[in-house]
Amino acid sequence: MKKKFGVVLATVMMLTTVLAGCGGKDDSSKTITFWTPLTGDDGAYMDQIVKDYNATNPEIKVKHVITADMYTKISTVLASSKGVPDLAIIHADRVPGFVKQGVLESMQDTVLPAQPELKAENYLPQAWNTGNIDGTQYTVPLDIHSNVMYYNKDLLKKYNAESFLDDNVVTIDEMLSLQGKLDEGDYVVNDALLGWVILAQIQNLGGDIQADGKPAVNSPVFKQAFEDVKKIADAGLMTPFGEDGYLMFQSQNVLFSTDGTWSSTAHAGVEGLNFGVTNIYSPTADKFTNRSSSHLFAMLKNDKRTDEKEVGIANFLEYVRTNSMEWAKAGQNVASNVVNQSPEYQSYMQSFFTSNEKEIESLYIYTYEYYPYIAEAVDTYCADIVRGNVDLDETLATMQKFVEDKIAESSSAAK
Amino acid sequence: MKKKINWAPAFFVGPHVILFAVFILLPTIYGIYASFTKWNLMSDPVWVGFDNYKAILFDGKSTFHTQFFRGLKNTLIFVGLSVPLLIVIPLMVAVALEHKKVKMKSLIQSILYIPGLISISAAALIWLLIFNKQLGITGNLFGSQIAWPANQPYAWIIIIVITLWGGIGGNMIIYRASLSGVAQELYESAELDGAGSIKRFTSITLPSIRFPLIYTFVMTTAGAFNVFGQPLMMTDGGPRQSTHVLMMYIRQLAFGNGESIAGMASAMAVLLGLVILVISALQYYVMNRNAT
Amino acid sequence: MSNQAVNGLDNRPVVNRPGKVKGSSNISISKYVSYTFLIILCVIWIIPVIFGISTSFRSQTEVVSSGFRLFPETWVFENYVTILNNTSTAPILRWLGNSLFIATSHTILVVIVISITGFGYTRINFKGRDTLFFTLLGISFFPGVVNLIPSYKIIDSFGWVNTSWAMIIPGLAGMGNIFLVRQFMNGIPKELDESAKVDGASDFRIFAQIILPLVKPILIVCGLFSFTGSWNDFLWPVIVYTDVDKMPVTAGLLLLQDIYGNYRMIGQLMGSAILAIIPTLLLFIFAQKYFVQSINLNSGIKG
Repeated sequence: MKKKFGVVLATVMMLTTVLAGCGGKDDSSKTITFWTPLTGDDGAYMDQIVKDYNATNPEIKVKHVITADMYTKISTVLASSKGVPDLAIIHADRVPGFVKQGVLESMQDTVLPAQPELKAENYLPQAWNTGNIDGTQYTVPLDIHSNVMYYNKDLLKKYNAESFLDDNVVTIDEMLSLQGKLDEGDYVVNDALLGWVILAQIQNLGGDIQADGKPAVNSPVFKQAFEDVKKIADAGLMTPFGEDGYLMFQSQNVLFSTDGTWSSTAHAGVEGLNFGVTNIYSPTADKFTNRSSSHLFAMLKNDKRTDEKEVGIANFLEYVRTNSMEWAKAGQNVASNVVNQSPEYQSYMQSFFTSNEKEIESLYIYTYEYYPYIAEAVDTYCADIVRGNVDLDETLATMQKFVEDKIAESSSAAK
Repeated sequence: MKKKINWAPAFFVGPHVILFAVFILLPTIYGIYASFTKWNLMSDPVWVGFDNYKAILFDGKSTFHTQFFRGLKNTLIFVGLSVPLLIVIPLMVAVALEHKKVKMKSLIQSILYIPGLISISAAALIWLLIFNKQLGITGNLFGSQIAWPANQPYAWIIIIVITLWGGIGGNMIIYRASLSGVAQELYESAELDGAGSIKRFTSITLPSIRFPLIYTFVMTTAGAFNVFGQPLMMTDGGPRQSTHVLMMYIRQLAFGNGESIAGMASAMAVLLGLVILVISALQYYVMNRNAT
Repeated sequence: MSNQAVNGLDNRPVVNRPGKVKGSSNISISKYVSYTFLIILCVIWIIPVIFGISTSFRSQTEVVSSGFRLFPETWVFENYVTILNNTSTAPILRWLGNSLFIATSHTILVVIVISITGFGYTRINFKGRDTLFFTLLGISFFPGVVNLIPSYKIIDSFGWVNTSWAMIIPGLAGMGNIFLVRQFMNGIPKELDESAKVDGASDFRIFAQIILPLVKPILIVCGLFSFTGSWNDFLWPVIVYTDVDKMPVTAGLLLLQDIYGNYRMIGQLMGSAILAIIPTLLLFIFAQKYFVQSINLNSGIKG
């Protein structure tokens, strides 16, 4: 028995040593380690871009690492200040917090000078500006990804609702006009990304989520936004609470689906689903907003990043700026103007959102420092509010407290 | 007086104690330390003494107070519903499988064990489809018009169903392995004495597997207190946060959107740990005493 | 424990009953009860599994088309083709290989550690033994949430980031399996090893020749748990690995989710989940013969 164990133990130790030995020893000064949270098909498109870039034989190649839980991973490497990536893609709403915590490296004097075309005029304005904190540019954008509204062409025709799309704004009143006209089991709109829809209404109603840097959740405009969306649910036109409204759109029981730009590829995979895309519904025909976020290239603080690498990063970003048509396949609004204004790009469904100034303006990115906490509060409570499960005034007060308590805990920690 | 040093404890227990100290004790101490700080996981923790605990336990207006007690209550509901079933069903299965005349034991055992191997996300998807009104069994075969994840008590039912489905396999094989050690002669002689099945179960089966029984009770309970995957995937804590268990709040605070509130999360985790500790100690004490 | 059972029987007041007849009718009734119970349970348990498997052979169009069908109307193999063809961002066969290596090494080491340690906590007498055991067990009950950060620092200081060591070694510190083995060893009558001790056997010999064979079934159960646990762990490997080629399968599968954590290609997810369970399932089928091996403790006592 003892002998057997010994042999097994020795074998395992040996195998493990071999395995450990042959791993992770590539020359790290010759590669840019590039982390992204782009799982699923998105990762494959980004992989292709990186591959194509490396095929141009740059001095420093890029190594693309997709991580499923990137922000936790970033915390762990920053805490042990080892293994910090050279370049990463982060979401727009992380920028203010990261800058305040001092974990982002500015691109202003390091990367941008190396490539003159990496400048505001060449990107969608809000994508570029979201990376600018107090006049310092921290990021370069890849895309804007938005909450948008898909429609089922066949169902619109069936219910004589094609006229809704005339002015590119589907109003809540227009939706309500279908009350009592739908077959059983059919619905006007689903509740996918409901929290984002609510946050879009805040803009449509001319309000904001903050006042003088303080969160303003318990406010008349939030109340109005919830009440407006609640009308649709009250009329029985929204897919039932707890049902997968996204799948119901694919199974052709829903006229409108309020999910993301990135879903177009999945919808296209469903045979017989004849769909198009438009703006998120609004309480008024005068204004429409598609609540958005952005994927941004950013550099986390890392003393070991050499100047050569920073130039290498600039070269890679410049390549992405001119060669990110591949990224359009992921369904996102590519931030680089060279790409989103090219004729080829117009064949992608999401080109609708960059087709004119008003559309571009509708892609709204919240830049308030504590936006993530507000979004979390909205996500936690929105379904119950819209379904009338809870008292609106009371819940808004709870949400306000929720955000304030979290802010109180976090800002003092950052000091 | 010169004493011969006894190396046996060092040999048999020592290696594991070292492993434990490095990989469990150190991180746990750090976690407890973090509970006395404000910490965003990135910068250095800032010592705040008992502030986090005060907010959680005594500040009735604090969001963290509400979250902790709501989460703890929901977790206790989950423990109360799931643990007895996670013990009784596998035990019944193991006893039924011990029956000499039951055939195809391996097949039955495998069927009941397979679900535990399926990843939680795939499992959740399967069950959500099954409970889906348009696409699933409950709607199409049983004509249920309810959106299960959004209404109580159905939300709890689906969480418990997926938990049992994926969770009975482990205890089942522990009981199987334990029962196989019980001598057949005991049953045979009991049978000759005319003991009925229930009598045989209470006077032979249960006493002979009491040690593994204590183990499964304590560990299943401790595991149930740490639940978060099933409610997260099946109901996302709804409706009205009535299935939002404590571990979900803790993870949201530490790894949610925005700046991490890890100090508060650690304090909640420590309090949860204390609850688990007290309950499992009670269980062990009561069961060990009753059994001897 | 078996003494306990025997005493229980002996203390029972002897009642005269026509034992044999009653007993056999009991057996046939209990047979039917057992069968009914097991069959109902198996049906409930297997339907979702079949549904999951059959969903991996459905197109997205069919997944979302109304009505419940246990089997697909048209069987498509596309999902598997897509999964197996993606060798750059999601090399699933490679992941399976990695998982197999990690889980096997981990399991072997676990079995060694827990059998030795379990023996230590039940058969070696030293001061504070039980206190030590329960203290460690109690500590291990604290939920590890932010422990991720110090744990990462520790494996980083050993240089184990992005290596299998980080997956194989830290799990050896767990208390669960040791607790189970301890419980089992406590059930083995002390008379067995005491008589051997009188004959001059060393601790190690008692361990290897008397106790180890007796706890084999539970060691196999523990091995199975460790294997499955190591196989299914996904929080830790996501933190540990940066190389997609080195990842174990469960962490890898997370990369198939879309960016908002949803699986939109349901058939593909099911397909990969099915592929991921095959190795553990095979191990279970192979191992189950052994953990129910009857070991007759009672004859041991008498002998």
